[in-house]
Amino acid sequence: MIEINRLSHSFAIGKKGDERKVPVLEGITLHIKKGEIAAILGKSGSGKSTLLNILAGFMAPESGAVAVGGQEISSLKESEMADFRLKNFGFVFQSFQLMPGLNAFENIALPLKIKGMKATERRATVEKLMLEVGLSEVADHYPNELSGGQQQRVSIARALITNPPVILADEPTGSLDSETEQEILDLIRTLNRDLGVTFVIITHDDEVAGIAHRQYRLHDGKLVKGGQRRAI
Amino acid sequence: MQFKDQLGFIGQHMKRNKVRLAMTILAATMGCAFLIVLASVGFGLHKTLSDDILENRTVTKIEVPGKEDSDSTITAQEAEAMREIQHVKAVAERSRPQAEGEARLGERSAHADLMFVQFGNEEKVGLALSEGAMPSAEGEVLVGYHFASSLLTQEEQDNAADGEEVDGFAGSLIGQTFEIELKPYEGEGDPVVWEFTVAGVTEEPAKDWMMDSSIYADESWSKTIAESLGTEESSREVIVYADELQYVEGITEKLKRDGYYVYSVTEELGSMNMFFTLLKAGLIFVGTIAILIASIGIFNTMTMAVTERTREIGVMKAIGAQPKLIQRLFLMESAAIGIIGTVLAVIIAYGISMLANWLVPMIVMSSLGEEETGDFNILISVIPWQLVAISAAISISVAMISGWRPARKATQIDVIHALRQEL
Repeated sequence: MIEINRLSHSFAIGKKGDERKVPVLEGITLHIKKGEIAAILGKSGSGKSTLLNILAGFMAPESGAVAVGGQEISSLKESEMADFRLKNFGFVFQSFQLMPGLNAFENIALPLKIKGMKATERRATVEKLMLEVGLSEVADHYPNELSGGQQQRVSIARALITNPPVILADEPTGSLDSETEQEILDLIRTLNRDLGVTFVIITHDDEVAGIAHRQYRLHDGKLVKGGQRRAI
Repeated sequence: MQFKDQLGFIGQHMKRNKVRLAMTILAATMGCAFLIVLASVGFGLHKTLSDDILENRTVTKIEVPGKEDSDSTITAQEAEAMREIQHVKAVAERSRPQAEGEARLGERSAHADLMFVQFGNEEKVGLALSEGAMPSAEGEVLVGYHFASSLLTQEEQDNAADGEEVDGFAGSLIGQTFEIELKPYEGEGDPVVWEFTVAGVTEEPAKDWMMDSSIYADESWSKTIAESLGTEESSREVIVYADELQYVEGITEKLKRDGYYVYSVTEELGSMNMFFTLLKAGLIFVGTIAILIASIGIFNTMTMAVTERTREIGVMKAIGAQPKLIQRLFLMESAAIGIIGTVLAVIIAYGISMLANWLVPMIVMSSLGEEETGDFNILISVIPWQLVAISAAISISVAMISGWRPARKATQIDVIHALRQEL
C-alpha cells in the first residue's frame, strides 16, 4: 500500500547566505501493506513528523521515492496532490484540527462537501458514520462544547467519511487522558478490523504503538528498528 | 464543492465578525451610493432638458425649409418623393401669402396669419378639431383655437395695450363668416378682401403657453390670392413626419444627403447628448474614486480574514481542497461584500434621488419667489437601470479585485505551517 524507498530530507538553518543543512531523514525505506496499522515511533526531533508530512504530500522530499497504492506522489503537482489526498488519505491530528465555526456534523461532512456530494446523500452518509462511532448525540455540538475524546472521535469520523484507503494519524492520543486514549485506540483497532483501513500512526508513545501490526522506530532521522509484522 | 455549499461556507464565515463585516459593507455602500447619486445628477439634468425639448414640440416632426443648392421652392414632385422615404408617415406642405393680413368679424378684428395647407395631409399628421368639421365647401376654413380670443373690438385693443386682460370673441365661430384684408409686403398693390366661413376650430395646443390663432385655408387659395395681390406664390415649407421618434434621425440624414436644409429634434438633441454623455462619464469617473477608497477597507478585511483563518485554510488543504476552491471562496466573499454593498447603495441612492427631486425644486422655486414650477418639470436626479448596472459592475469588480490578492495569499498558505497554529 505504502512504499517508501531511500527517502532523505534535510532542512536549511542559519542566516541567508550562511546556511547549513541539517539532515532530518536519511535513507528511509519502509513498506506498509494494505489493511495494516503501522506505528512510526521516535522521540522529538527524530524526523517522524517530517516523514508524515512527506507521506501526506505536504512537502516534497529531497531525494527518494514515496508511492501510495502504486502512485508515485512526490512528482504530483499541488492540485493533483490535493485531489490525491481527498481520495486516498484521511487525517487525524493531535490537536484535532476541527473547524470552530462548524458543529460536529458539519465538521465530519466537510470532506464530502469539498468532494461535491449532494446534501441529501451527504446527510445520510454522515449520520450513518456518526452512529457507528458513537457521535449521534453530539451532532449539533460545536468543538468547544465537546470533550477531548469526542473531538478526536469527530476528527477520526472526518478522516473516515470519504472511505480513504489510508488514514495518517499524527499523535492521535497526544492531547487525551489515559482513559480516553484507550477509547480512541480501541476505535482505531475496530475501524481497522471492520473496515480494513490502513492506519499510519506517528507517536512517541509505546503504548499507542502497541496496537500496530508493524512498528518503525526513528532516531536522528534514521530507521533504527522495525518492519516485522507482529500479532496484536 | 457545490455552489450552494460554497455560498453556505462563505455565509458562515461572514457571520463570524459581524461588526467588521458591517463596517466594510458600509464603506462599500457609501462608495457605490455616492457614485450613483453623483452620476444621477448628470442623468437628471439631461432628462430634464431633453424632456423640455421633446415636450415643447412634435418629436417626429422634421422641418424642411428649402434646398441647399437652390433658391427655388420645394416642388410638389420633390414633396411627393419625400413621401416615398421609408418610415415617413406624412408630408405636410404649407405656405403663406406674401402679404400682411387683418381678419374682421363685425366690429372685431385681429392679425390674420393665413396659412395654405392640404387638409388631407394635415389630418394624417394629427390635426384635430375642438369643434366643427373639416372644410368641405368653397370658402370654408379652419381657425386656430385662440383665433376667437384674438378678435378684439377697438376698446378691447386699447385695454389690452394698457395691460388689461381681455376676453375677445365669446361665442361660437362655427358658421360665422369673416373677411380678411391682405396687403402685399412689397410693391404698391391694393389691398384685397376675401370672405371666409369658419368650418371648424382646431384643438387646444398641448402647452398652456402655445397660441394658435392661424387661419387654415386650402392650398388651392394660394395661387388665386397671389394672382389677385400681384405677388409670387410663397415658397413652400415642407414638414415631414416620421412614424416614430427612432426613425427621425435616419430620415433627417437621408434628406440632408438629398440636399435639403433640414431641422429636426435629433439635430437639437445631438449636441446636447454629446455634452451630457461627457458629463455623465466624468461624474462616474469621480464617483469611482469613492469606490476605490472603499476598496481599501475590503482589502483590509479580506487580508485579516485570510490571516485569521490560516489554520482552517490549512485543514481544508490537508483534507483535499483544491487551491482554486480556496481562492474562489475568498473571491466570493469579497464579491458578496460588493454585492450587498451595491444592493444597499441602490436602495439608498433611489431614496436620496426621490428626496432630491422633491426638495430641490421646492428650494429653487422658493428662492425665485415662485410657488410652482409650471410646465417645467425639474428632475435633479434620475437613476436609469443603465446607471445601476454600470455602478454595480464597477462596485462588484472593484470588490473582487480588492479580494484577489488576499485570495491568492490564501492559496499559498503552507499546510504544515498552518496546522501548527494555535486555536
